Amino acid sequence: MGINSTQLLSYRDIKVRNTDLFEDAWGLNTQYHDVTDLLRKVRVVPRKRLTKRLLKKIRQIT
Amino acid sequence: MKKTISDYELIERFVKGEQSSFEQLIKRHKNKVFAYISLYIRDQALAEDLFQDTFLKVIQSVKSGKYYDNGKFISWVMRIAHNLIIDHFRRIKQLNTVSNDDYESDLFNSKRLAEANIEEHLIKRQIQKDIRKLINELPDDQKEVVILRHYAGLSFKEIADITEVSINTALGRMRYALINMRKMMEEKKISLTLN
Repeated sequence: MGINSTQLLSYRDIKVRNTDLFEDAWGLNTQYHDVTDLLRKVRVVPRKRLTKRLLKKIRQIT
Repeated sequence: MKKTISDYELIERFVKGEQSSFEQLIKRHKNKVFAYISLYIRDQALAEDLFQDTFLKVIQSVKSGKYYDNGKFISWVMRIAHNLIIDHFRRIKQLNTVSNDDYESDLFNSKRLAEANIEEHLIKRQIQKDIRKLINELPDDQKEVVILRHYAGLSFKEIADITEVSINTALGRMRYALINMRKMMEEKKISLTLN
């Protein structure tokens, strides 16, 4: 009959890991993906030297 | 399958004297904490100091039994960082010395230069500077939500807890922030394409 229907998804097939359901419900990622995609591509990380310095300090005080 | 040790288990081990457990916690959460602080504090050296102070305070609190697990270790750490940032701004306000505008930021660590050619590196750097500018031009409450969500990786529930507003307010702030950023991108004709 040529009827197209959406394939049934089981609950386990819905990917909710790493998804904030509130954010999803507000559609922030779908409506503003141009901005959010961009924000996600930028990483801010501490310098290795800084982490080493912190670990050294902790070893001294503990 | 290898089981990941929870934050709380690591804290318990640390309290019992296993120092490496706390180091594991730092390695697990350092990027989030640093991102949050360094996007707020424009002075890199100061951001690094606050980053260290945050974890030192965490140790102090854990050792004195002030941490009670409710499965939200990282939210608790972020709250400590948040309070340290607020204390810093209070001190500055008291001293009336707000002047670090000439600081040239190097907070967004891009991929290693060796991996990309120089031109690509410069373009990426410019884009990162532009994004940082966009974030900095947001009102404080919106800026905070953007940083906590996108750079500290917190959920809206956690953001609402830290900023002491309802989840809907936090979401509303994020929506305004995204609208504002998009508007600024259009106004300044910033083409932010990072592939």
